[in-house]
Amino acid sequence: MRLSVAAAISHGRVYRKLGFGPRSRLDLLRNLVTALVRHERIETLWARADEMRDYAERLIDYAKRGDTDERAMRMANFWLTEKDLIHKLFKVLAPRYQPHPGSYTRMLQIPNRDRLDRAKMAVIELKGNPLPPLIRPRRDSEKTLLNQLLKGYREDLQRAAAT
Amino acid sequence: CRASSDGKPEKFQPPPKPVIIDKQKQRAERRFLSPEFIPPRGRTDPLKYYMERKDMIQRRKVFNIPEFYVGHVLAVTTADPYANNKSNRFVGICIQRGGKGLGATFVLRNVIEGQGVEICYELYSPRIQAIEVLKLEKRLDDNLMYLRDALPEYSTFDMNMKPVPHLDDEEVRVNKLQVRMKPKPWSKRWERPKYNIKGIKFELPESKMKEAQKWSQPWLEFDMLREYDTSKIEEQIWKELNEELKK
Repeated sequence: MRLSVAAAISHGRVYRKLGFGPRSRLDLLRNLVTALVRHERIETLWARADEMRDYAERLIDYAKRGDTDERAMRMANFWLTEKDLIHKLFKVLAPRYQPHPGSYTRMLQIPNRDRLDRAKMAVIELKGNPLPPLIRPRRDSEKTLLNQLLKGYREDLQRAAAT
Repeated sequence: CRASSDGKPEKFQPPPKPVIIDKQKQRAERRFLSPEFIPPRGRTDPLKYYMERKDMIQRRKVFNIPEFYVGHVLAVTTADPYANNKSNRFVGICIQRGGKGLGATFVLRNVIEGQGVEICYELYSPRIQAIEVLKLEKRLDDNLMYLRDALPEYSTFDMNMKPVPHLDDEEVRVNKLQVRMKPKPWSKRWERPKYNIKGIKFELPESKMKEAQKWSQPWLEFDMLREYDTSKIEEQIWKELNEELKK
């Protein structure tokens, strides 16, 4: 039985192998997309989050077309297993991202999972969500050299403006 | 002289002016971009496709490649060193158009003296001396490879066929012909939904058709990443083409 060589070499293949089979892969990603639309921030394996990110962004692009569009509705119906989220997608998420041209999600890596497998985890969230922010930007302290010099320069300018 | 109702001679009424429909504008609306210009999805440098496009446009300026689809009957004359007049003419139905860039090919099929013959020509090969479209007719599918397993009458075309006249500004009509097949086994299992063939009249029993549907993948149409939106690329290439060809 001659197995094709093309099946063994994976040059240029873009889709990861998740689950058991292409149907299972899409079902997995579908569940993740539904969870993302419901909770707006989820934490999963990094590979799954990476695959899911593209699908979520394309789903939002479809939703931007409006809910009168037949294709957009069929896509949303397939991708969101919980049907109340279709309403949320078209009425809440689509207007929220209308001014933005792309990249509606943010993905950050997390420390490895606590179980025996120590898997690489990631948190993926929709931008503009009502939850507290993931990264708190820390400003440098007042005592650093650069900040002290800048403070001195600002004070000099103020003194020159006052006189 | 017409006698009017009130006795006076009526004012001369000129005949109604003939309405001239400007066909130029209508023709410009129909745009056909040859499929080999559209670059495939991939990680290659667009410079490669740009250079190939320049060469393709150069060739098109010298030699006219007509607009044709799969299902048209074409006559191609190529230069052949071993033939009588150093040229060789072949008539056939185009069953597939493949390849992108300068390597674009099309396969013509005909049945000559009972033997099916398929020749794959390269569109931009300098050996080709003339391409004439004899019959303009689109079919229901993009790929007519199933004609190999169809009855030979559907692939026979007369070598000295006269070109069928066709007005330039009409739409190319779609022939909804359903082809009858030879008995199974076929070279490929054309009833399977993977090939998505609409142009065959399947005379198989219902059980076989249902069994073929087992291989259908209904999730494929919802897989968004597989879609390749070429509208913007096509616009750009169309503009480029028109500018270059006008020079």
